[in-house]
Amino acid sequence: MSGTWMTTRAWLLMLPLLVVMVAVIGWPLVDTVNLSFTDAKLVGTGGNYVGFDNYTNMLSSSNFSRTLVTTTLFAVISVAAEMVIGVLAALLLNQQFHGRAVLRALMILPWALPTVVNATLWRLIYNPEYGALNAALTQLHLIDDYRSWLGEPGTALAALIVADCWKNFPLVALIALAALQAVPRDITAASLVDGAGAFNRFRFVILPYLAGPLMVALVLRTIEAFKVFDIIWVMTRGGPANSTRSLSILVYQEAFSFQRAGSGASLALIVTLLVTILAVAYAALVRKTAGSAT
Amino acid sequence: MSALEIRGVRKSYGSVETLKGIDIALQDGEFLVLLGSSGCGKSTLLNIIAGLAEATSGDVLIGGRSILGVHPKNRDIAMVFQSYALYPNLTVRRNIGFGLEMRGVAADEREKAVNEAARLLQIEALLDRKPSQLSGGQRQRVAIGRALVRKPQVFLFDEPLSNLDAKLRLEMRTELKRLHQMLQTTVVYVTHDQIEAMTLASRIAVMRDGRIEQLGTPEEIYNHPATLYVAGFVGAPSMNMLQAKVEGATLAIEGSDARLPLPARFRKMVGEGARVVVGIRPEALRVAADATVPSLPVEIEVVELTGPELVTSARIGAQRLTACLPPGSRVSKGQAGIFTFSEDAVRLFDPDTGKAFAS
Repeated sequence: MSGTWMTTRAWLLMLPLLVVMVAVIGWPLVDTVNLSFTDAKLVGTGGNYVGFDNYTNMLSSSNFSRTLVTTTLFAVISVAAEMVIGVLAALLLNQQFHGRAVLRALMILPWALPTVVNATLWRLIYNPEYGALNAALTQLHLIDDYRSWLGEPGTALAALIVADCWKNFPLVALIALAALQAVPRDITAASLVDGAGAFNRFRFVILPYLAGPLMVALVLRTIEAFKVFDIIWVMTRGGPANSTRSLSILVYQEAFSFQRAGSGASLALIVTLLVTILAVAYAALVRKTAGSAT
Repeated sequence: MSALEIRGVRKSYGSVETLKGIDIALQDGEFLVLLGSSGCGKSTLLNIIAGLAEATSGDVLIGGRSILGVHPKNRDIAMVFQSYALYPNLTVRRNIGFGLEMRGVAADEREKAVNEAARLLQIEALLDRKPSQLSGGQRQRVAIGRALVRKPQVFLFDEPLSNLDAKLRLEMRTELKRLHQMLQTTVVYVTHDQIEAMTLASRIAVMRDGRIEQLGTPEEIYNHPATLYVAGFVGAPSMNMLQAKVEGATLAIEGSDARLPLPARFRKMVGEGARVVVGIRPEALRVAADATVPSLPVEIEVVELTGPELVTSARIGAQRLTACLPPGSRVSKGQAGIFTFSEDAVRLFDPDTGKAFAS
């Protein structure tokens, strides 16, 4: 069979998928790019061409820079915490003990729950009047009075990060657990005979096997965290005083709450560009890691 | 005082007993090979010595000190694994020096020890490479280097040559022998390869179903197997086992008219009419020109020239036997022939107990 025919057949087989991709991703993307150069409103006519005004206005606005900092803080802290907690949980679940299978199954639960359910659950925990967190902290005499964790700008973002970690650390733990089971038993045994303690065993023996899979988890989670919308929307709607507003919420507010479709589109494209840069950087990192491991 | 002593070691996994009471005492500098087929418990025993598995009962002593419950790093042992078990992200230099690094040995002293081990193993040029950049043989040298550099009281080897190709295995075997002769450290070496066992060991423990079937020097194991299992397991091709019956001063080979003289040394051990198994090593057989005594009239079935010898499969009545003959021997497929042998080469076994009649 000739190479040309193989190539043609491959393209023919992929054609239906390409058509769907162009229809559901390509066309809306092109439309968004068009929209971003206009002052169009959400309702009404198409709007006038304004060049790069939407972009320059958005990039120079304090709203954007403040939201970018908030989103970055949220992404960096929650992903870092998820990585650490996920790896620790995986190390624990990799030990031999009774009830390990049950615990492994239970651990998946927060991740398997819909984000809205998870967010509602944490809203109840943080409730300023009858929340479990306030009750626990007061009974432990760590705080004197009940506090509105989600209502104070100083604590709302941290409270959101905790809720996000709770939901997403099981994914990291599952990936790490699978990687841990691939660590050859002989290498662990060799490190024991060589006298490596728990920390050195982790650093020199386990981590090299975890690095690749964890990098994948890091890429996925960072991109997800950077695009975060649902958990914040359900818990705080970006408040109080915009202290938990993420870029995705800013896009929503701009396009739908304030009905500035053109400006919203430009912001959406900026966010897409930032996420693409992250994805490309991480992909390069993954390739480098894979290259050095072989 | 023994360098290593294993006293009544038993190991159970639930209701399954994998080691059923092992007793071995090794003198300083001995090279003990634990030989047996898969699942006989040899690796379990090695892991118990290393501290990677706990004995259910019994004791293990190194230099007279019980090491049960002692962490592997404090047992004064070093171990080489079948899979090499090198740390993939560390250079050869750091792999070899890892044990010393973990013990807080100063960098310059460590460097000196690593260089010395590398020189011994001729891997000096590889010190800055990663394990993934090495061949199987080079990796195994690094693994041995990692053990050497620690200067332990006992070396443990878990089938270290199994992953190498035949040529490399031969080279590494010689290398190990050279190293042991030079360093004179006590070694416990696990293998299922009888050639490795025969060539390397100062003593071999043939294991079967969690027990030691026979413990002895390679010469004792090969020439005076204590049981039918050892006789069949050690030697390639394995020892010929002919079913026979004692009739007066002769051994009547079952299913044929052949009779062998019953060697005088066995006469008081076996009674008239007793059924026995006659064991004769293939290399003890020679082609006889005529029916000299002792002789076995056979029908030649297959003749294979392996290079140094002519491996000949033959039939005597309903029983089969193999002979390793010199290449020029006059044998050909489908012809009748006569094999002869020295009486000293005959071993007798009790077919019921499987034990040898001591000669």
